[in-house]
Amino acid sequence: MKPLLAMFCLAVVVLATAFAVRGDIARPKPSEQAAVKIVYAQLEIVPDSNALSARLEIHRSDLKDLLASVEGTPNTSLAASITHSGTRTIIAGILLFLSLSFAGVWIARASRSSSGLSRAHKAIAVVLVAIATIGTAAIITRGNAGPPPSYAWRNLPANLTSGRSTTGTIRIALIPDDPNSTGAKLIMPVVKKNARGEEE
Amino acid sequence: MFAAVLVLCMLGCALFASWLPLQVSIVTVFLFAGPHNWFELRYFLMRMPVRFGRSRNFFLTAFVGLGTLTITYVSLPLLYRAAIWSEEGWLTIIATWNTLLLCWLGILVWQRSKQKTKSNWFWVLPVTLALGAFNWLSPDFFSLILVYVHPLVALAFLDRHLRRNRPTWLRTYRSCLLMLPIVLGLMIWRLSQTTSLAEDNGLFWRITQHSGAELLPFVSSHLLVSVHLYLEMLHYGVWLLALPLLGPLVRGDSTRSNPYARVWDLKTVPLARHPLGFPKAVAIALWVGVVLVLMLWVGFSVNYSTTRDIYFTIAMAHVMAEAPFLLRMI
Repeated sequence: MKPLLAMFCLAVVVLATAFAVRGDIARPKPSEQAAVKIVYAQLEIVPDSNALSARLEIHRSDLKDLLASVEGTPNTSLAASITHSGTRTIIAGILLFLSLSFAGVWIARASRSSSGLSRAHKAIAVVLVAIATIGTAAIITRGNAGPPPSYAWRNLPANLTSGRSTTGTIRIALIPDDPNSTGAKLIMPVVKKNARGEEE
Repeated sequence: MFAAVLVLCMLGCALFASWLPLQVSIVTVFLFAGPHNWFELRYFLMRMPVRFGRSRNFFLTAFVGLGTLTITYVSLPLLYRAAIWSEEGWLTIIATWNTLLLCWLGILVWQRSKQKTKSNWFWVLPVTLALGAFNWLSPDFFSLILVYVHPLVALAFLDRHLRRNRPTWLRTYRSCLLMLPIVLGLMIWRLSQTTSLAEDNGLFWRITQHSGAELLPFVSSHLLVSVHLYLEMLHYGVWLLALPLLGPLVRGDSTRSNPYARVWDLKTVPLARHPLGFPKAVAIALWVGVVLVLMLWVGFSVNYSTTRDIYFTIAMAHVMAEAPFLLRMI
């Protein structure tokens, strides 16, 4: 009991000191990049020989995000909700820290006792802890990086020719009004190839 | 025979839930929501000891927590309307309530573990803390998970019930349960590409919101409503059919009638039958329950949407009441 009490007191002192020493630090200036309004969505380009005109179909949720971006209302996605809430993130972090600590204590104690954990139990516990840690870290850091967005569009020219659809991510950027240009512009990443079919 | 009925029920429920989710949801809640609560009440009364004895603190914690959490949960909508809350402030309130719920469950598990000295329940602590962390990261999603997990608790009750009353059936039951993730996987596979359900009116909108359509806008609301309805149908099926009908067939050497099925017979409730019991209190509780079920049906007939909202708010009490009784059966 005493070590637990000591650990608790130490944690309180560290937290209290952390708040105190950061008390006179000025709030960081908002970066200019934050002002750029970009909405991420999925785009499917479908060649249709029966279509009489080009038609753009937008999901209600994407339109909602677009409108929110125009009006400056906050993004309510899961990642945004987590990363933009300091208090809740701190509490969640402390609870996660305690959870992992007690899980470690449990594994250590159970493995020492006569009715200890079997190898299967240990493996399950380790896998669960690893998944939880990596998953949480991935959500918070947005570290779920995949191949570059242009990868999904690599077959677009061939698919257009053969009449097949192509799906990939798209960044919808809201730009200021310009009297010299009207309408929307769709910029697609295309890889140039030489005569031998190799990427330049 | 038992396995065939189970599989047929699971597949039938999945079929109806996928086919006409909104319509079947309305009919299912109208018909079965109230009666299943009454059957739960009766089941809990049957499992209640006449004297708490060593479990006094456990039941005290259970009832005090149940009352406090229910009152605070019911007052949340009033609190929401009483003041102007920022989104962040409101999420903090929801996270706080969820944390209280987790603390209550944690204390109940700890108290129960003291009575089960042979098993090590220490692992519950890190799991509870991890759930608490997830709750603070995303209170909305934590609440939504409660909506989806609660129907599955009935399956755990049936497992414990069969273990006590028909242990030879337990293996078959558990084998059939393996079908559940397969059926759910098939439903998700078939319905993930469907268009979202039309929210033509307030009632349809409420049903899709209850299933998490606002929190998961990138998932078809048809899929969400169907999956939730499927789990609810299984939940109702367990409480209304499986638990009452699958009582003890044989006790010792003698065959006996099933006390769970004789719902009209007050003497089947140990709390009422025992010389030191409370027959009048049990009778009053059950009759009040009958009146409330009738009132619920009248309410659904007059104004379905409002009654549904009120029901699902107050029904949080039965969601929480399942926890201590399930713990007592472990």
